Formats: sequence, C-alpha cells, structure tokens
Amino acid sequence: MTGALLQVRNLTVDLFTARTALRPVDGVSYSVQSGETLAIVGESGSGKTVSNFAPLGLMPTGVVADIHGSILFDGTELVGMPEKQLRRIRGGGIGTIFQDPMSALNPALRVGRQIAEVGELHLGLTSMQAEARALELLKLVRMSDPEARLRQYPHELSGGLRQRAMIAIAIAGEPKLLVADEPTTALDVTVQAQIIALLKDLQQRLNMAIVLITHDMGVVAGTASKVVVMYAGRVAEYGTAEQVLLEPRHPYTQGLIAALPLPEDPPGSPFRGLPGAPPILGAPVKACAFASRCPLVLENCTKAVPQLLSISGVSATACHVVNASRLKEPANA
Amino acid sequence: MRTLISIRLRNAAVLLVLATMLCFTLVVSAPGNVAVLIAELRSPKATFEQIRAVEEELGLNDPLVVRYGNWLGSALKGDLGVSYKTGESIGPALAGRLHVTGILVAGGAIFAMILSFTLGFIGALMPGSIGDATTRIIALLGASMPSFFVGALLIYGLAVELRLLPTFGSAGLSSWIMPWMTIGLLPAAVLSRVVRVGLEEAMARPFALTASAKGLSRGRIIFRHALPNIAPTYINALGAQGGAMVVGAVVVEPLFALKGVADLFLQGVLFRDFMVVQACLLVFLTSFIILNLLVDIGMMFSDPKLRRQGANA
Amino acid sequence: MRILQDFARSLRQLPRVSMVAVGVFVTLGVLAPYIAPHDPNAQDLLAAHAGISWEHWLGADHLGRDTLSRLIVSARTSLVGMCLVLLIALSVGITIGTIAGYKRGWVEEVLMRIVDVGLAMPSLIVALAVIGIFGTGYWNMIFALALAWWPGSARISRAVAVGVMNRPHIETLRVLGASPLRVYFHHLLPTTIGAVLVYATADAGAVALSIATLSFLGLGIQPPTPEWGQMLVDALPYLETVPMQVILPGLVLTAVVIGFNLLGESIALNRVPTPLSRRILASRRMLASNWTRAQQ
Repeated sequence: MTGALLQVRNLTVDLFTARTALRPVDGVSYSVQSGETLAIVGESGSGKTVSNFAPLGLMPTGVVADIHGSILFDGTELVGMPEKQLRRIRGGGIGTIFQDPMSALNPALRVGRQIAEVGELHLGLTSMQAEARALELLKLVRMSDPEARLRQYPHELSGGLRQRAMIAIAIAGEPKLLVADEPTTALDVTVQAQIIALLKDLQQRLNMAIVLITHDMGVVAGTASKVVVMYAGRVAEYGTAEQVLLEPRHPYTQGLIAALPLPEDPPGSPFRGLPGAPPILGAPVKACAFASRCPLVLENCTKAVPQLLSISGVSATACHVVNASRLKEPANA
Repeated sequence: MRTLISIRLRNAAVLLVLATMLCFTLVVSAPGNVAVLIAELRSPKATFEQIRAVEEELGLNDPLVVRYGNWLGSALKGDLGVSYKTGESIGPALAGRLHVTGILVAGGAIFAMILSFTLGFIGALMPGSIGDATTRIIALLGASMPSFFVGALLIYGLAVELRLLPTFGSAGLSSWIMPWMTIGLLPAAVLSRVVRVGLEEAMARPFALTASAKGLSRGRIIFRHALPNIAPTYINALGAQGGAMVVGAVVVEPLFALKGVADLFLQGVLFRDFMVVQACLLVFLTSFIILNLLVDIGMMFSDPKLRRQGANA
Repeated sequence: MRILQDFARSLRQLPRVSMVAVGVFVTLGVLAPYIAPHDPNAQDLLAAHAGISWEHWLGADHLGRDTLSRLIVSARTSLVGMCLVLLIALSVGITIGTIAGYKRGWVEEVLMRIVDVGLAMPSLIVALAVIGIFGTGYWNMIFALALAWWPGSARISRAVAVGVMNRPHIETLRVLGASPLRVYFHHLLPTTIGAVLVYATADAGAVALSIATLSFLGLGIQPPTPEWGQMLVDALPYLETVPMQVILPGLVLTAVVIGFNLLGESIALNRVPTPLSRRILASRRMLASNWTRAQQ
C-alpha cells in the first residue's frame, strides 16, 4: 500500500473527561489513496467520528485524547505531531465537514468572512484576495446568488445552503483530503442527494480524497470505493464497496444490510432490525464485541478478540467464525 | 430595524411616564403634612393661617391629577421645586452637579470594562493556570467587598501610606483615579465573569470546533470567533452594571467629597428633603430608562439575528 | 417536612468554604450575647483606640468600646435584619409568583409587568428614595429593602410554579377532583417555597451588603446598635492613625458576603441536579480508573 495518501495503522484512541475514561477506537487500520472515497460505516458510538477527529486534535474542550498507533498523511506522521504543525494540516492538508451545519457555522460572523479566513491562513492571501476567492468557492459549491450570500449570516441560509457554505470552508484551504462527518444526516432527504452529488463533483474537479463517515448504506453505495465497517471501536469488516455491500462476510455487516428496507417490501412490513444494542463504550471488550448479538456465536467468540484477517485483495474480516470457516475451506479465498 | 427601534422608543416613553408617576406618588404619599413642614421652616411657630397659605401656595388643595399635571409641566421646564432645607431652587443645583456624576460613572464604566476584559481573557486563554486562579479570586473579592470598604482601603493604601494620590478635592485627573476604581471594581468583577463564562460557553459550541478544524489557534478562535458571540450578553450586563454604578455613586461621592447628583440625593434622603429626593430620583430613573434604551439598541446591532429581523420587519 | 428535606439535601451539595463562612456567621449571630467578651456598648475612654491586648483582643474604637465584641454582636444585627428582609420579600414574592404561575393568563401578564418594572430599577435606589420620604429607622430600612427585593423572588417563584403546574400529576389531581385550594396549598406552594429558599440563601449576601451600605450612609441601623458598616464609618476619621478599626469590620463583612456568593455560584451551577446519573457516573469513573491502571 505504498503511495497511499492516508495510512492508518493500529490506531487506538483513549478519551478522558472529568467524568469517565473510555476507548472508543481500538486498533483500527485502513488506508486511502489520493482521489478515492473511503466510507466508514457504523452505529452511533462505534468510534467512527473519534477515529478521524481525535488524531487531528479536534476534541471539544474538557476532553483529553491519548492516541497510539500511526497515521501517515502524505508521508508525514500525524501521531505525536506538535499542535503548531498540526494546525497547518487542519484546514490546509485536511478539510473537515461537520454533521450539523447550523451549529458548525459561527452565528455572529458573515459567511464570506468564515470562508475567507481559511484562505488568509493557509494560502497566505490578503483579505481582499481571500474575499474574492470566497466568492469563487461559493460559485464552485453552486450557491445561488453568491455575491449576496457572502454578506449573509448563517441563520439567513437554509440547511442545504449552510452545508454548501460549510463545504466551501472545508475546501478553501485546497486540501488533499476531505473528512466529511455525516454530511447529510441533519438535512432534508431531497437536499441530501444534492450534497452528495456536489461532493462527488468537487472530488473529481479538485482531485481530493474523501473519508466519508456515515451510517447510511445508500450514501455508501453511491459514492465509496472502499468501506470500513466499525463496531464498538474496532474494524469488523474492510473491503471494496461492491464486496462489502453485495457479499458481506461479517455477521454484523450482513445484519446491517439485511436491515435495509427494500423497494419490494410490502407497505407496513415490520423493520428488520438487529436484535440487542451495541455495548456501552468503556473498557475494551476482551472478546468479540458483537458476540452477544451474533446469530453465529461460538464458544471462542466470548473468549478472544477476533483478528482482522485479509481474505482477498483489500478485503478483511474480524470474525472468528468467518475466518475459521475460511481456513477450513481455502477454496473460498 | 427602524420598526424595532421605534417600538423600543415607545416602550421607553411609557416607562418614562410611569417613572414620573412614581416620583410624584412617593412625595404625595409622604407621611406628615408637607405644608406644616414648610411653614415651620419659615417661622418656627407657624399659625394655622400660615399653614393654610402654604397649602394654597403649593396647590395642595387641588385634585391629584391637576397637581400631577402642574408638577410635570414645571419639571419639563426645568423647574423641579425648592429645597425645603436650603430654600434653593433644585433645577439649577442639579444641573450644576450632573457632570460630576457623569464623569464618575463614565470613568468607572471604562475602568470596569478594561479590567473585566483583562480578567476574563486571562481566565479563558489559560484555564487552570495560576493566572486563571488569580483572576477568579480577584473577581470573587470584587463582587463581595462593599464599595465603602474598597474606597477606604484605596484611600489608606494609595493616599495615606504610599502618598501617590490626593485624598480629596479636584486636582485634575489624579483625584479621579480612586473614585473610578472604587465605583468600577464591583461591575468589573461581575462583567469579568460574564466574559469568562461567555467565552467558555462559546468555546464549547460546535463552531469553535469548526474554527479549530480550519487550523486557527486557540487565541485567534477566542478573539475572532467567540468574542463576537458574547457581545450581546456583555452589552446587556454592562447596562445593568451602569445602573448599579449610579447606586454606587451614592456611596462613592460622599466618600471622596465629590459634589454630584448622588451626593445631593443622599443629602435629600438624610434630611427628608422630599423635593430634592423626588428631583434626583426623577433624574436617576430617566437615566436608567435612557441607558436601557441604549442597551437594547446596542444588543440589536451586535446580534446579527436581531439586526436582520428588524430589517425584515 | 418535605420543604426541610429538600432544603437540607441541596445544602449538602454546597462547597465547604462557603458552608464554613456562613456557618460561623449564623452561629455568631445566634449566640452573640453569650460569646462577646465585653458589653459592645460599654465605653472606656481610657482605652480609646487601644491596640491589641489581652483585655481587648482586637483593640477598641474611638470611644473605647471593645472591637471584638462589637464585631460579634454586629453579626446578630446583620443576621436578624437579613432574615426579616428576606422573610417579607419572599412572602410577597412567592405569593405574587405562585398566583401568577397558577392563574396564568392576564393575571400573570399584569403581575409580571409590575415585577419587570421592579427588576429594571437598581434595588438600592428605590430603597433610598423610600427612606428619604418615610424617614430613617430600623423598620423603614427593613421594608425599603424588602420592597427592593421582592420582584426577584417573584420572578423565580413564577418560573418554578409554572414548572410545577405543567407536571402531569397536577393534571391528574385536577381530573380526580382536587379543589383548586388543595392543589395550591398542598402541591404548588410547598414545592415552590422549597425551590425559592435555595435561591434566597444565595441572595442573602447582597442583602447583608445593602444593610451595611445603608448603615454606612447613616440610613440603616442607628447607633448605639453595633453594625459593621456603621463601625467602619465611625472609624473612618481615624483612618490615618488607627487603620485596623476600619479594616476589621470590612474584612468580616467581606468574608460573610464571599460565603454567600460562593453558595450562589454553586447553586447556579447545580441548577439541574440528577442524583441517579451521578451514581452511575461515579461507578463508571471507578471502572474506568481500574481499567486504565490495568493497562499500564
């Protein structure tokens, strides 16, 4: 996997707050090539957001994150990088889009200023040049009436427009990688598709890699080339989008995909949910975290943490049952 | 915007009328006969006829509405009646003292703003440091020390022991320093908490994380992103503290021998000089109402939401 | 009983420093005449401006009165005055506030407008004007301060009362046919009083400050009753020679106010106490620390 833009190896994150200590990310590895989209899928609390934000130093006040493992971005190690250098990566090398564009934009500053600020900081533009660039960016994210939008405040924009402004901020520093944390979750369904289309379009034009954090399988199918499925802070399954979506191997992934409503479902048919609930984050589970909900559970599942074993190409699964059966039937590989 | 301001103006006008009614009612409801008081002031053994004459002269026999109208009419012309104690006309006496209280409160407000931002920013920029602890202690002391004690300590420390500043009198700027510090310490303490808590809350909001994701430093996020968000709250609190400082002037003016409106008010209260109390109260209430109006307008300008709502209204 | 329990429970969550300051203040206030080593008003001109000695631990004032005794007895003056002001202000405030919260509609609208006007004016100015018209005196001071303080407690009581009235069990009671008076006196009033008392504790410092300020101005407690603000103004002419007599009453008053202010701060922070989640959090914290230790 040489030449990967982002190479995450055995990443572990411990979070400490005044109230609790937890390990939301436990030994996660994946890589992203430049220009490609990697989707990270999982339930709330599966560690998908923390695994991306904690290494960048993006933690709310009052939370301390200890990071172990290695993250190579564009050839430089991010883990252990001093805050001053990390600031140059944030917004410059890596742009970020947040889930709720209403609260993520500053209500007291004009949209134009919030975009221009990034250009001033990372591209060394003067305030005039940065404002002009902000206008270009608003056109790039296909905002209607961009001149007027520059002078408006976030509360004067609709949810979709706010998220477009947020995207303009994220790409203003000409990043090579865009981390999008559930960029469509807080939006109306009709707007969601527009935003996803916009992201794909921008990716091609600007040759950006995208890490798309989502719990929406539909979004994954339309955009991602590779998928990481996370469960309780660990990678359950890793592979190409087609493989994960069409031939899921891990019982959790299978459950997720089986839970999707299908067009041929008769109206009123019950949801096919996964039974049970994910474990409460805290100490790392010394077994397969999915064991209590797993239909295939074996004795070994409650005794040892399953290893992420590669199956073919980039595909890998962390499941005692699947990996054991694969060893028995090597023809499958 | 204009509509919003005109609504505020109308509210202020209503309040002003209520304030004049309050001032008028207070004196009317005063125990004891004002006419007797005045007549006795003129000649120690006033006869019944003399008292009747005073009643007639003051119009005390007219219906209340007429008396209110007459009083308000002359008050608008600057005629606020005569002091029972000195026999002086109150209007000119008040006018000659306004600037003293004005300089005191304005200077105190500037001192309070400077100190509150300094304390608040030290706390917000370096949470958990020794500087942070110090600012907290200063804020707690400032909010808990009675202003007359602060003034006494300043006089003792700066004027008596160190001989840095003059105790009394109006020897230019230096004689104002202690009064400003005395009147400004309590507002500074309260406002520093507003700044500190406001900045902390703003820094905990998601937009601060966005700003951090842009690569901005903590200091820059505090100044460029958090600060504009606390402006409305700060202006509101500053207005409330401005009102509190007028109260503070009642203590500070006598302490530093300043002849301002608050000093006159205190003299009036001490000697039950109704007309003086009434006139000063009217001046105070009017200034509170104007202050509140300015605060409302200031908040409107500092909060984009309110500003734009006004524009669309 | 329930009021007392609620009150005691909220007191237990408060910071220790403020509990000590307030506790000492209340103890001194209650026991003052039995603790004070001297008669606070006994003059001994030979001991005027005496320094620290066995006879006078904290010296004596310009009339030779024992400063320590006067400081201790002042605590009682201040405590009694504070309690009276709060009692009157809270009675009026809670009555108005609960009526507004119970009746809602135009009654609430009118009452709350009045409260708003009261809140808009700095409290001491109103108190001063009232004293200026009705004259100085102990009860005039108490009523003037109560007049200045009731709007605040009225606003809090209304907020609490509205919250109580919106709880489902009140609706149930009404459906079951409980009379309005029963709902008011058995359910609304006790809960509101409990909640407002906590806020009142936090406000007590400001009342103590106002009493001292009025006395400093010669408008509150009248001589010879000892009071901190009055002691300070008595000693002020001798600031250059005997600064201690000015500083002592100021320090004691400041300490009391700090106690109450810290109390108020912690109440403001503990506004939504949820005992259940606290216990869960504590157990989690234990678990997490064990696990962190096991890893190292």
